[in-house]
Amino acid sequence: MRFAYGLAIAVVGACLVPLVSPNYMLTIIIEALIWGIFAMSLDLLVGYTRLYSFGHVAAYGLGAYSSALLLLHFHMPLPFAIILAVVISSLIATPIAWVCTRTHGVSFAMLTLAFAQLGYAMLYRFKEFTGGSNGLAGIPRPAGPFGIELFQHKVGYFYLVVFCLFGSYLLCRSLVNSPFGSVLAGIRENEAKTRALGYNTRAYKRAIVIASYGFGSLAGALYAPFAGFASPELFFWLISGKVLIMVIVGGAGTLIGPIIGGIFFIFLENQLAEITDLWPLIFGSVFIAFVMLAPQGIWGLVTSTLNRRRAPAGAGPDPEDVSGASA
Amino acid sequence: MPLLECIRLTRRFGALIAVDNVNMAVEPGEIRAVIGPNGAGKSTLFNVITGVLKPTDGEAFFNGERISGLPVHEVAQRGIARTFQLTHLFPQLTARENVRIAAQARLEGRWAMLGGGKVLAQSRRRADEALEQLRLTRFSDTPARNLSHGDQRLLEVAMAVAQAPILLMLDEPTQGLSIEETERAVDILRQMLAGGGLTVILVEHDMEVVFKLAEKITVLHRGQVIADGTPDEVKADAQVQSAYLGGFE
Amino acid sequence: MNFAGFLLTQCLNALSQASILFFIASGLTLIFGIMRIVNFAHGALFMLGAYAGYTAVTVTGSFTLALVFAPLVTGLVGMAFERAFLSRLYVRGDGGAYLMVTFGLAVIMGEAIRLIWGPQPQGVPTPDMLRGVVFLLNQPFPYYRFFLIAIGAAAAIGLWQFLERTRAGLLIRAVSQNAEMVHALGTNVEYVRTGVFGLGCAMAAIGGVLAAPLVTAYLGMGSNVIIDAFVIVIIGGMGSFLGSIIGSLLVAFVQVFGAYYFPNLALAIMYLLMLLILVVRPGGLLGKEE
Repeated sequence: MRFAYGLAIAVVGACLVPLVSPNYMLTIIIEALIWGIFAMSLDLLVGYTRLYSFGHVAAYGLGAYSSALLLLHFHMPLPFAIILAVVISSLIATPIAWVCTRTHGVSFAMLTLAFAQLGYAMLYRFKEFTGGSNGLAGIPRPAGPFGIELFQHKVGYFYLVVFCLFGSYLLCRSLVNSPFGSVLAGIRENEAKTRALGYNTRAYKRAIVIASYGFGSLAGALYAPFAGFASPELFFWLISGKVLIMVIVGGAGTLIGPIIGGIFFIFLENQLAEITDLWPLIFGSVFIAFVMLAPQGIWGLVTSTLNRRRAPAGAGPDPEDVSGASA
Repeated sequence: MPLLECIRLTRRFGALIAVDNVNMAVEPGEIRAVIGPNGAGKSTLFNVITGVLKPTDGEAFFNGERISGLPVHEVAQRGIARTFQLTHLFPQLTARENVRIAAQARLEGRWAMLGGGKVLAQSRRRADEALEQLRLTRFSDTPARNLSHGDQRLLEVAMAVAQAPILLMLDEPTQGLSIEETERAVDILRQMLAGGGLTVILVEHDMEVVFKLAEKITVLHRGQVIADGTPDEVKADAQVQSAYLGGFE
Repeated sequence: MNFAGFLLTQCLNALSQASILFFIASGLTLIFGIMRIVNFAHGALFMLGAYAGYTAVTVTGSFTLALVFAPLVTGLVGMAFERAFLSRLYVRGDGGAYLMVTFGLAVIMGEAIRLIWGPQPQGVPTPDMLRGVVFLLNQPFPYYRFFLIAIGAAAAIGLWQFLERTRAGLLIRAVSQNAEMVHALGTNVEYVRTGVFGLGCAMAAIGGVLAAPLVTAYLGMGSNVIIDAFVIVIIGGMGSFLGSIIGSLLVAFVQVFGAYYFPNLALAIMYLLMLLILVVRPGGLLGKEE
C-alpha cells in the first residue's frame, strides 16, 4: 500500500511540474527524465542480474536513430514511431543478446562494448542512410493519433515522457517481482546453482538483455524527436560509462535509484557546468567514493535507513519483494 | 529397468583419468552410497552424470533416456536434483526464497515464469513444506549466508527436495558438520527417506552415516569401481579394505 | 608506384604500430592476469605517459630522459591508486566494482591532465638522432618507426625473459595462477599486485612517450587507444602475454592495411574480428578466462 501512495504522489507531483517551472528548465527536466528511463533500463542488467554492460549506449543510439529515420521517411503519428523504434531496436538487440550471453563477467562487458563500437562505426559506414558525422536533422514531431497535437509543444512532450517513464517503471517492476525476476536474482547470486535447479540461465539472460535494450531504446527514441536531430555522439561510448555511473550512484537493483540517479546527474551536470570547469573531476570522485563506500547507492542508503527506523533488528525483508533487492 | 544406469562412463583430464570405465545401475527406490578415498573420482562422477562435465567415453541413462552430454539444466529438468560438495546457495536471499526458487523450477508451461501471484504462492507453499521437512522453518526469513554451516547444508538439501526430484544426488551432505549436526542431519534424512518413493545416491566419507542410511554401496578407487554390493559384502571385500588402508571400524 | 616497396613499407608501418600497441596491451594483460581486473584507466595512463614525456622533453630536451621519467611517474601514480582503492576491493569478490573504480579513475585522470596541461595538443619533436627517412625499394620510411620496431621487439623479448627466467617473473606467474597458495608460502601477495599494477602502468606510459612524436599529446588519445587495447587483449586472450603480442600484430596489420584498402570499414573489421573470435573462443585465442 505504501507503494501505491508513493506512486500517486509522484504522479501528481510530475503533473504539476510544468505549472511551476520556467520554460528553459522544462527542457532540462525532459532530458533528465529521458536519462532516468535510460538508467533504469541498465539497472535490469547491472542491478538485478549483475551483468555489467559497457555498451548500453547502443540501445540509446539504436532507439534514437530508429525513431529519427522512421519520422523522416514515413508519415506516422509520433507515438507509433516511438513504439516501432523500440520494436526495431529490440529485434536488432536479439542477436547482440545471443552473442553476448555466451560469455559472462569481463568478456560480456567487452562484447557489449564491441557491439556499441560496431554500431558507432556503422553510422559512418552508411553515411547516405545515417547522415554520417552530420547526423540527421530536422526530425519532425507529427501529430498523434486522433489528431492529438499535444507533443508538438514542449509541455505536451513532457507529459509524453512522464507517461513513458511511469509506464516503463511499472512494467519493469512487475517483471522483477515476477517468478522470472526471482530467477534473475538466482542468476545474480549463484548462476551455477540456478542452472542446477533446472533453469536455462542463458535463455533468461538473453531475455533480460533484450528487455534492457528495449527500454533503453525507448529513451533514445524519445530523445531524437525532442532534440530534433540525431548524431553519432548519441553512440559515443563514454555515454555507456555515464549511465553506469547513474545506476551505481543512484542505487543498483532498485529501479527507482537509477531513475533518481539519472535525473540528478543531468541536473547537476547542467548546473555545475556553468559554475565550474571541474565537474567531470567531481563526478569521477563521487563515483569512486560511492563504489568504495556506499555501493548500494543513494536510494539503497535511503531505504536501509528507513527500514532500520521502521522495523527493529531481526525483521526480514519485505515479503512482497521477491527480487531480494531490499534484503 | 534401472532408474540410473552408467555404462563404461569415463572422464579424462589430459593424462589424468578421473572416472574410469564406471558401470553402475541404481534401481528405483534404492538408497545408494558412493564411497572411496580422496581423489577417487566421486564428485567427478556426479558432475558427469548431472551434465556439469561431458563424458570422454561411455554413457549415462536416466529412465531409459540418454542424459550424458546434456546441459546441466536439462538434466535437472528430467528429475535429478543434486547438492554440491561446496555449499551452493543464494547467499543474500532468505532461506525461504532460496527454496522457493528451487520449487518454482518444477512449474510447467513456457509462460509460467511471468505468472505472477498464483505461481509465487504455489512455489512458496512448496518451499514452506520442504523447510518444515528439514526442520528449518524458524530460519525462513533469515538470509542464507547468516545460517550456520550445518544449517546451510540442510538448506541445500531442502532446495533439492523442493524440486520434487525422482533422483536425489547428495554430494557429501555431512561434510564440515559437527557430531551433533551430523546426527541431526542423518535423523532428518532417514525420516525423509522412510517415506519411500525417492531414489537417492549419496557420496559420503563418514562411514557411520553410510551404514546408517545406505542399502547398497559402490566403492570407487582411482576412478574405478572396485566393489559394488550390500554394506556387509562391501565391508568384507579385501580390495576395499586395502584401498582404505586398514579397513573399517 | 612500386608495389613491393609499398608492401614493405606498409608491413613495417604495421610493425611499428604493433610496437606501440604492444606496450599498452601487455600492461593491460599483465594486470588482468594478476588481478583479474580490466583496467579501464589504461588509456588515461597511456595519455599521462605522453604528457609526462612532453614535459620531460620540454624541460630537459632529452627524449631518453622522457622514456625514463614518464613510466616512473605513471607507475607511481598507478601504484598509489592501487594501494588506495583497488587493494581494498579485493575482499569484495565483485568484479564489477573494479571495472567501475578504474573507470572513475580514467575520468578523473582525463580531467586532471586537462587542468595541468591545458586543452591544446602538445607536440613532441622527434629526437634528433632518429629524424629523417631511409629509402627501402624506393619508398621513404622514417627512422623513428624503425626505432619503434626495435624498442618494441626488445621490450617484448625482455619482458618475456623476465617472466620466464627471473624469480620475480616466476612469482608473478605464480600469483596469477594461485594467489592463495603463494600467500600461504609466505610471500606478500599484495606487494606483488601493487608492483605488477605499477609495471603495467609504466608500460602504457612508455607507449605514450613513443606515440607522442607521431600523434602529439592530446586529450582523448586515451579514449581512442583503450578500445584498441581491449580488442587486442580480448583477441589474444586476457592474461596471456603471448596473446598480447599476437593481438597487437593482428590489430596493427588490420588497421594499417584496412585503412588503405577499406577506409570506411577499417573500424568495423576490427570489431567484427573481435566478435568472431569471442564467439568461437570466449576466452580469446590464448585466454585464461574460463
